[in-house]
Amino acid sequence: MLGRGGDAHRAMGGAGWRAVWVAAVALAALLTGGPAHAAERGVSANEVVIGTSTPLSGPAAPWGATALGAEAYLAHINDQGGIHGRRIRLEIRDDAYLPPRAVANVRELVDRVGVFALVGLIGTANALAVRDYVVANQVLWITPAIDAQVWVGYPHTRHLFVTYPNYLQEAIILGRYAIDELGARSLAVFYQNDDYGKTGLAGVQQAVEASGGQARLVAAVPYELTETDLSGHALRLRQSGAEALVLYATPRHGAMIAAEIAKIGYRPHRLATFTLADPVMATLAGPAWEGTIVAGFFDFPGTNPKVDRVLSIITERRPDLAATPFNALAGVAFLEPLLEGLRRAGPDLTRERFVQAMETLQGWDGELLQGVTFGPGRRQGLQAIFLAQYRNGQPVRLTDWIPYPVEF
Amino acid sequence: MDLLLQYAVNGLATGSLYALVALGIVVLYRTARVLNFAHGDLAALGTLVAYTALTGVRLPFSLAAMTGLAGAAAVGALFYAGVVRHAREAAPLSQSIMTMGLALLLGGLAAVGWGTDIKAMPFPLSATAVWRLGGLVVSQLHAGATAVAAVLMAGLYLLVQHTRWGLLMRALSENPVAARLLGVRSDRILAATWALSAALGAAAGLLLAPATLVDPFFMLNPFLKGFAAAVMGGLDSPPGAVVGGVVLGVLESLLAGYVSVAFKSTLAFLLIVMVLMARPEGLLGREFQRRV
Amino acid sequence: MAGQALVRRYDREFALVYGSFGWAATAALGAALVLAPLWLQGYFLYVASLIGTNVVVVVGLDLLVGFAGQISLGQAGFVAVGAYATALLSARAGVPFWLALPTGALLAGVVGWLVGLPALRLKGPYLAIATMGFGIAVQQVLINWPLVSGGRSGLMVPAPRMGPWSLASDTARYYVVLAVASALVMAAYNIRRSYVGRAWMALRDSDLAAQTNGVDLTRYKTLAFAVSAAYAGAAGGLTSLVLGYLEPNLFSFLESIYYLAMAVVGGLGTVSGPILGAALLTALPQLASRTREYLPVLYGAVVLAVMAIEPWGLYGRWLRIKRYFKTWPL
Repeated sequence: MLGRGGDAHRAMGGAGWRAVWVAAVALAALLTGGPAHAAERGVSANEVVIGTSTPLSGPAAPWGATALGAEAYLAHINDQGGIHGRRIRLEIRDDAYLPPRAVANVRELVDRVGVFALVGLIGTANALAVRDYVVANQVLWITPAIDAQVWVGYPHTRHLFVTYPNYLQEAIILGRYAIDELGARSLAVFYQNDDYGKTGLAGVQQAVEASGGQARLVAAVPYELTETDLSGHALRLRQSGAEALVLYATPRHGAMIAAEIAKIGYRPHRLATFTLADPVMATLAGPAWEGTIVAGFFDFPGTNPKVDRVLSIITERRPDLAATPFNALAGVAFLEPLLEGLRRAGPDLTRERFVQAMETLQGWDGELLQGVTFGPGRRQGLQAIFLAQYRNGQPVRLTDWIPYPVEF
Repeated sequence: MDLLLQYAVNGLATGSLYALVALGIVVLYRTARVLNFAHGDLAALGTLVAYTALTGVRLPFSLAAMTGLAGAAAVGALFYAGVVRHAREAAPLSQSIMTMGLALLLGGLAAVGWGTDIKAMPFPLSATAVWRLGGLVVSQLHAGATAVAAVLMAGLYLLVQHTRWGLLMRALSENPVAARLLGVRSDRILAATWALSAALGAAAGLLLAPATLVDPFFMLNPFLKGFAAAVMGGLDSPPGAVVGGVVLGVLESLLAGYVSVAFKSTLAFLLIVMVLMARPEGLLGREFQRRV
Repeated sequence: MAGQALVRRYDREFALVYGSFGWAATAALGAALVLAPLWLQGYFLYVASLIGTNVVVVVGLDLLVGFAGQISLGQAGFVAVGAYATALLSARAGVPFWLALPTGALLAGVVGWLVGLPALRLKGPYLAIATMGFGIAVQQVLINWPLVSGGRSGLMVPAPRMGPWSLASDTARYYVVLAVASALVMAAYNIRRSYVGRAWMALRDSDLAAQTNGVDLTRYKTLAFAVSAAYAGAAGGLTSLVLGYLEPNLFSFLESIYYLAMAVVGGLGTVSGPILGAALLTALPQLASRTREYLPVLYGAVVLAVMAIEPWGLYGRWLRIKRYFKTWPL
């Protein structure tokens, strides 16, 4: 066995040689390159560099399509000459949904690559892990794709601009709709056992409490991201007999639970968070998804020519993204405000100019987003969502924009 | 009572698929003494190949399924011939870590080749068409998957116990050196065993796919459960794998229904550990009778 | 054999560093590591801290797997115990960090000892499943116990203070990691050469023969689990320092698998092997971050290639190279 060593091992000063070998490997790995700072980080005469860290591998990999959609759209923008003569380069890093890697990626993007802004970033845990570093280095951050509730009450939001719905508010709206419009007296929640799902649960609980005894929460059934068998969960939900079921899940688990409850003959009203608004849900869950009510924060493909145009721009460059239109479009939705901010900041681009430019957005309509509003002290750009219902496999708009309070 | 039966029946269906995964693991471990961490990824790869055959090339289902199984088997055999065979001197743990490298590699290639989005697998049996027996609900898919799994297990039993090939596999598993001395072509048998194990995994993947929806990592959890079931049943015992799989499936379902959905995996593992404490070589295992 | 000094003294066998060359090389390494913050920026110091943390886990795991011949697919559970214990003690109970870290490690060690008890009867894959179950249990308990794990948003760990110094900067954290890792690695080198290490190796090679020779299986097997768990717990405390944020999904089954891979790829049965393995497999995702979706392919290929070419791991190959030159031109 190696531990016993031998003459050769002892003769060369043992630990001395080991030390050299270890040092060589470890330090060679770290010695590459130095910082790449321009006058303003990430800005040069003909290029603006932005970055994102997103899961491109592992169980959360489907969300990575957001970054790929954004990249495809940027290729189009660059082909048209960029913004103020500058091309925009998006540096994508894979963090496999793990906080230590997200932190390392963000630090690499800021320290080594030198990015003007971060866009996106998926996973509340990842965002919380990098938050202090981002704030300390005054890095612009456009729409971390995480529960916007996290920023409520957080003091350092000067360089943060969010156009992503607030899960808590969305859940309250879904719960209220179930109670007031659908007349449900009992609600159940099926949720992912992490911050994303638990926030949804909290929102539904708030809606139930606000109903003043009109409705009750009769079941809260969690699942793990790696779970592949939901038959027990479905049975539990059926046992509760809830009239309305709110889903805070990934597309896969949303489709699975819809199929499972249909199988055992449980047919409540189904309401789902906007992440389940992808038309692909109808393919995944089949007829079981018919009639599900979903939230949305930008119009669905097929209902708005501007949205369709963006989708075709993306799929022209990356046909594989046609399989996940919602994710690809969402990526562009994260990016849009950044592009508008760059346009408004003018050719002499600095962080300060960008912040001021963003604060001039009042009720701005982009290609996807509508009514984006920022201002001094206001960093939540979206304050309304709408509800749609799946009919014949397509989400069809059900309500007008439903506002929620702007809290940061 | 109805509810209890329903949980049990659901557990039986899931358990038979765990058993199929476990069988694939056991078949390989018995003959080659390697814990194949890439089993789940081989299964996923086979399933994705079948998916492309179904939706891209538009083959009929049986042909597409065969293609998927063949694809997985080919990769398994190739891996043996190309890598494992040359690392024969390595300790079993090193070989297992090699399979871990293969797992990451295959997962990454599958993600690049097929994309990471979730896909629905077209399947001749419907997941929503059900039969009702009293208050009991049995879906066509469940019943069909359980039946196919049972057929495969029976086929494997016949293969191992009643064919010459199976005899050679058993010889290699008992004493590799003696077997080789007696003229058993161990390389061919081992390559075939890798192929068989991968094909069994792909079959399990195909049967799981309609309910679980397909992406490159969809077999991660079933692989873990199958591994745990194989260990509980005894890693050198195919009947043990079947028993372990079914027991694990039913137990998990009952625990989820009556104790806690959030802790169902923890409790299942706790029970497995208790089984192992009582029988350290698994329920039907016979590994630890050895010469001193 | 050319160039080999005659071994004249018995303590040469036990010395960790000997010979003028050995001392010079060790001093150079020490200087390089201590002076690193002078020419490494924050990002590299962060990666170095990550490497240091993983080195501690993997060295501990190797004591269990390589020396004592056991296996563990649940090391992440012990890391979690140490991480949360340290974080909660220093953030909520106001315990100074230099006390919280060893306490967390000790707690993890006790848990390790407890896990070692049922493990006495189990071997190989059966033991692997039992430890895997432990790891999954720890993670699920943390997920469902918001009081400890910080609830929906995980646990933010404010930078602790150590005496007059605030440990908030990358440099400070790097030095803490360096100090703890160096101490624990030195301890591992010494454990290896001690009677405990020899008892472990005896048990690994043949537990029946060792027992007939008077080595107490119960005592040493549980001790192996306890020590490797304590190492993991210390690394957990370092994690809470370096990352400043904890959440249960940091300690999943996949992490345990990666630790085992680092140990085996580096070289089991040695102390330097795990250091190399941890350094390589921690730095790889960062160095190759531009490969994006091809990263798992690269990572898997590297693990596969190393194990296929050299089953003894990186350090094993290094020993072979040394031996080749030592015995040349034979």
